[in-house]
Amino acid sequence: MSYYFAIIGTKDNPLFEHEFGTSKQGGDGIARFRDEARHMNQFIVHSSLDIVEEVQWGSGQMYLKTIDRYHNNHISCYLTAGNVKFLLLLSPDTHPAAYTASSNTQRPSSAALARQTSSSLAANPTAPQTEEAIRLFFTEVYDAWVKNLMNPFYLLNAPVRSPVFRGRVMAAGKKYL
Amino acid sequence: MPSSPAQDAHPLQSPHYSEPENSLNIPKIRGLDKNSPYASLASLPFRHSNASLSSLFASTSSLPGSRPSSSGTATPPTGIVAHSAFLPDAPRGLTSPSPSTLGDDADVRNLIVRSFAPHVAIHASADTEELLQNKGLRGGLLELLRPFGETVQGRVTIRDSTGASKSWDDFGIRFTGMRDGLESPRLPDRRSTESARSASNGIPDSVEGSTPARLRTGGDIPQIEEVVDRHLSHAEHHSRSDLTEYLNHSEAANASASPSASPFYSLYLRRLLSGLPVTPHETFSHPVACVMAISSRNPSPIEELRRLYASTTTGDCRLPQWVNNEFLRYYVLIHDEDHDDAAKSMSLYEQMKRHFGLHCHLLRLRSSQCVSSDDDSVKLPLCQWISAAEELAEIQRRESYNDDEDPTPCVFESDATALKSFVREMVTQSIIPTMERLSATWNDQVASRRRGISGRFMSLSKRWTPFSTSTRSATGPPSNGSGSNYDALQGFYRPDTPEATMRKLADYAFMLRDFKLAQSTYELLRTDFSNDKAWKNYAGANEMAAISTLLASQSLSNKARLDTVDQMLETACYSYITRCAAPDSALRTLALGLELLKLRGASAADDAARWASRILELRLVGPIGHALVTERISACFVSRGGVGSLHWGARRRKAALWAVLGADGWLRLEKDLQARKCVDEACRLYGLNAAEGTPLAFKGMRAFVDELREAVRALGMPGQGVGSEEEDREAQREGRADDEETLVEVSETLTFDQPSPVSHRESLMGTVQPAFEPLGDLPLSPSRLVQQRDDGFG
Repeated sequence: MSYYFAIIGTKDNPLFEHEFGTSKQGGDGIARFRDEARHMNQFIVHSSLDIVEEVQWGSGQMYLKTIDRYHNNHISCYLTAGNVKFLLLLSPDTHPAAYTASSNTQRPSSAALARQTSSSLAANPTAPQTEEAIRLFFTEVYDAWVKNLMNPFYLLNAPVRSPVFRGRVMAAGKKYL
Repeated sequence: MPSSPAQDAHPLQSPHYSEPENSLNIPKIRGLDKNSPYASLASLPFRHSNASLSSLFASTSSLPGSRPSSSGTATPPTGIVAHSAFLPDAPRGLTSPSPSTLGDDADVRNLIVRSFAPHVAIHASADTEELLQNKGLRGGLLELLRPFGETVQGRVTIRDSTGASKSWDDFGIRFTGMRDGLESPRLPDRRSTESARSASNGIPDSVEGSTPARLRTGGDIPQIEEVVDRHLSHAEHHSRSDLTEYLNHSEAANASASPSASPFYSLYLRRLLSGLPVTPHETFSHPVACVMAISSRNPSPIEELRRLYASTTTGDCRLPQWVNNEFLRYYVLIHDEDHDDAAKSMSLYEQMKRHFGLHCHLLRLRSSQCVSSDDDSVKLPLCQWISAAEELAEIQRRESYNDDEDPTPCVFESDATALKSFVREMVTQSIIPTMERLSATWNDQVASRRRGISGRFMSLSKRWTPFSTSTRSATGPPSNGSGSNYDALQGFYRPDTPEATMRKLADYAFMLRDFKLAQSTYELLRTDFSNDKAWKNYAGANEMAAISTLLASQSLSNKARLDTVDQMLETACYSYITRCAAPDSALRTLALGLELLKLRGASAADDAARWASRILELRLVGPIGHALVTERISACFVSRGGVGSLHWGARRRKAALWAVLGADGWLRLEKDLQARKCVDEACRLYGLNAAEGTPLAFKGMRAFVDELREAVRALGMPGQGVGSEEEDREAQREGRADDEETLVEVSETLTFDQPSPVSHRESLMGTVQPAFEPLGDLPLSPSRLVQQRDDGFG
């Protein structure tokens, strides 16, 4: 599983982006996105803002759980009090052909599907364990985010460049995902 | 239209027409591989732009964007997301597509309703065919009648099961050959059955006779793709010839804000729904009636009619045993106005009426050939509901004509009037009353027994009591142990079983547009088929149940929709693909479901988009269909307007994403017109003005959109070879790291002098850093953040 984490400001502008891979089950913590997935991730996350804006009115929680999916990418959202959104895109590695419009007509092999649906944390984006792990991750990042906001030199809606913050996100990712 | 690709004109061409290895030998078609739509992309043949050919492409050749808009912003809001704030309560979520606001959306509904029309087989005697061959119609009576059946002149009134009458302007029937749709459209079939058929039809050459019937079978996705590709190429070819109009058009497209269904998508859908193959699991393409035609030249007319009748019941034209053979026979006497005596024909006609009852008609035609210079000649209209294979054959036939002469046959105006009134009389006085009567009977005798409490008990007892099998085995097939009527070995229900009758009832009701009755009957059938494990029938019943539910109820609450329609579509799709390996049927299911859901606007549009992306995930379509469906998803999201001035709950970003993907897909196929349309749409949705830079905050997105625009701009340039676009795009991708000016420069050098594009690419790749990595190759190390500062985040 690879993760793409983005913090998105109030004007649909990215404040922070981070890619990492799973550290569970012997994962090395390195994201394995294909080249075109780099911009596709941004497109997907941007497009799921539509759903965030709708779901946020129906739930009192800050953690909105999985809100959207695009092919086999799942997007989870955490809404902060300042209308800044944390979005996490989960992308299983097992099935690299499914990111974009590939034009071959054969269907995904059943073996790949079976691997994809196995129920371990790292492989199944929809399992309750994954949901809980993402919640913990978001909570920890939110903690770091609030501290970052208290920095007097940080301007609202400006990109975050603090290496300390990035380090904390990396640590949280390593710890929970 | 004439399906027969030159039965006598080009002997080289016809016999194995649809087999790839032989079609390559046809000299005039210029190395076109019929087998794969991809191959025809690589070797685009030069096309004559003669008038006769462009008339074939007329359905799609209007400029995109000129059609009426369908924004649908006025529809009340709902949400798929269960706890949406924009979904206050269920009654407000009801949506009814009002025809006034939905311009071309209503067209799609119309298209779907019209595509399931009663099929009428044509069985003509040898002398009739001969008469029509002399008239210049190589396809015989079928070719003459087919265009007139597509829309019955005037209003047609149909009574539904509750006794209410409703009139339709656009009712039509499909004329087919007697054994059309039985063979797969591509695989060569056994010759033995074919020769038998053509011998009885009196077509001299038995091998040639096999071609048109196979061509008339639709449902083959690669062929549909190729037809749409031909239309696309035609549109591109013509737009390129007029460059100024083409460039101006981009501004026009930007100005007209709302997207509409592209004509190519409608074409795709129409071809998907044309020429439904005859299968055991649904009866839409089983004949509702059969026209038995003789001409006044026949020396022994009554005997000939009896012979024709016998050949459809017991003889060589007998349909397979799973087709109900009790359809209506309609007897037609074709009177030759030019040569024969009218009084003699009238007396013969009276005699026919005495023998065969009221379902007779005297059709007066002139037998001499009509040429377009005659003053009372009219062109035989083009058929709209032809299968993809047929259209391909027609396009190729016309391409091989070098002169501008239109090969469409002409008929006399008097003939056309006679044919129209014949079709109208047959439909309104024979076919529809018969169908109404039969559905009323079946509804009383079979279906209503199954409704209500006692019906449930009956189906229970049928399943659980061992005694019930013995009572039914008198009529049913030899019991196969499980006590069901389903013949699992051969995979069908015999036509006399209650299940088959009910399916026929439901299909009749659907074709007569009584969607409520159809829906309730399909509902009954779903449980039956699932108990019998008749998976294909089960999938078909689910498909049609979902579609008739969507067509029947103007208002459908969100919950009901989620509970019923979604589940039925899901089941149908799963059964078709996994259990029956019928991806084309699955595509039909999803496409119809998607269109009908989209019509409901609001939250149903989300579902529509979900089903559409299911089509893509299941890889049911080829590259052209992929791009078209992607475009369609974007349209689905656009049609979901937001609430209030802030457009809460709108799907602008999603629509834009899919428009970008569509543009990418079209660029891969080198269809610059379509790509331009998609890019324009995406820019509009993202709020980018074409003139200035892009305010998109994500760097990777901005780069990609810029790159697409650049590629489209490069494609629109004149004097450019067809094969070079891909290279340009590659080059641009790789050259993206530098700023805008170098990029244009690079693409232009490649454009105008390209001795070997590959070497250019290599040199570019060597020097220039890879392009659109938003975060760089080592994006996350803090030491690089300083460099990223000004271009990383806008």
